Amino acid sequence: MTSKPSVCQAIEEALLATAIGDADSATAARVETHTRACAPCLEDFGRYRAIDRAVGVWREAPAPAEESARAHLASRLADLRRRTLVYRIFPSPLGPILIARSEEGVSCVEYLTGGSDFAHSRLSRLEGVEALPDGAEVEVFYRELLEYVEGRRTRLEWPLDLRLARSPFHRAVLQATAAVPYGVVTSYGGIAAEVGAPRAVRAVAQALRHNPVPIVVPCHRIIGTTGDLTGYAGNRLGLKERLLAIEGVRTERGAHAPHVARQTLYHYDRNDQRQYCLPTCGSIARRPIGRVTLLASRETAARLDLVPCSDCRPDLHPISH
Amino acid sequence: MDAERFDALVATHHGEIYRYLLRATSRRTEADDLAQDTFLRAYRAHRTLPPDANARAWLFTIASNVAKNHFRAESRRRQAHAAVRQTRSETDGTGPEGETLFNETRAALDTVVADLPLKQRLAFTLRKVHDLDYDTIARSLDCSPDSARAHVFQALRKIRRSLNGSELPLGRDER
Repeated sequence: MTSKPSVCQAIEEALLATAIGDADSATAARVETHTRACAPCLEDFGRYRAIDRAVGVWREAPAPAEESARAHLASRLADLRRRTLVYRIFPSPLGPILIARSEEGVSCVEYLTGGSDFAHSRLSRLEGVEALPDGAEVEVFYRELLEYVEGRRTRLEWPLDLRLARSPFHRAVLQATAAVPYGVVTSYGGIAAEVGAPRAVRAVAQALRHNPVPIVVPCHRIIGTTGDLTGYAGNRLGLKERLLAIEGVRTERGAHAPHVARQTLYHYDRNDQRQYCLPTCGSIARRPIGRVTLLASRETAARLDLVPCSDCRPDLHPISH
Repeated sequence: MDAERFDALVATHHGEIYRYLLRATSRRTEADDLAQDTFLRAYRAHRTLPPDANARAWLFTIASNVAKNHFRAESRRRQAHAAVRQTRSETDGTGPEGETLFNETRAALDTVVADLPLKQRLAFTLRKVHDLDYDTIARSLDCSPDSARAHVFQALRKIRRSLNGSELPLGRDER
């Protein structure tokens, strides 16, 4: 094979660029001038143009099996999306907190105790969950959580995804607990009655022990029938006291376990007049918590549309702290 | 999480990413798998993509990386060469008489392109089939725009040499 004349070699790249439409007009003009006088380069040019046109056909040609490839992707993507949680770990007055959400809603709030990195979280050990750290989308929940902890917010109206609950019963317990308002305390028995299983008190306690979204599903508002705080986040009763204190619910530590100070709380035993009472009203302070709901303040009662009892008149004789 | 934004990304770009990967691998099953990998990776990362980013270029970059990883083992590349003939016989055998020559040309081109070194094959496909500019190709293939262009030109020269003497109709009327 003989080598090309140097003038042809020099213009080869320009010729190629022109043939595939990559050249500017000056280059194209230079190539045209050359190929007018050079038959081999004109043939080269023609061949490159032909290749370019043939490849152009690929653009329009439908790809075989494209639809089935799309369906395969859709199925794997749906699975990944179901399993994906995005999270971020934040500092807070309660210690480092991890907040994670799925496409549906917040699915995990976790107090990190062993350290503030993801490896210390329970979420990292959950099978079948794909946890991604780029959770800018949970930032808004963190801000609201801080406001709550600082006593500047009484509602956390977050979309929730309760799929990390261990059973439909657990989920029902979490849903019932989520409905217990700020500054209100009830018992495991009260929640058991609420979900239609009044004898399943221990099962309710178990469900709340595994609450994947503490604070937003306020399991700290659920205590023993006698007023004992009983348990929280493993063995962190101090945290439960602190959350209750934020909401104005006083607790005291006697010889035994910490318990709510009933004499400092307003009482509501469900009645048609929707009247709430002082703890000194009749025998109300001796009735089990759960049947009686405890309220942190008269404002709490007002938010629930309750009215002062016409006998004990909590409006005229507020509890003095 | 902007789920709708990602759905739109899939709806708009899956077809061309699949076609790109089909060109890269010459095998439907592999293109199918690699397109899945591309979009699953994209799903894991799409929250970090700025709203004004060029999502199409970004997807081609992911797909290119997926393809490069796939071909890291040279033996798989050789399988692809064998596969192109199989794919061709599955797709091109049924054309009417008048299209035979053209189909043969296309088939020859398929084989030649499948035989190109990976970077040339990817650069050539990105430029000529998907119309990406050289800056974008450079980012997708992790090289400079100049070498992206060099890959495309080198690919064209090889195709030209390989097709020498085949029945590719000349474009004399195209000046």
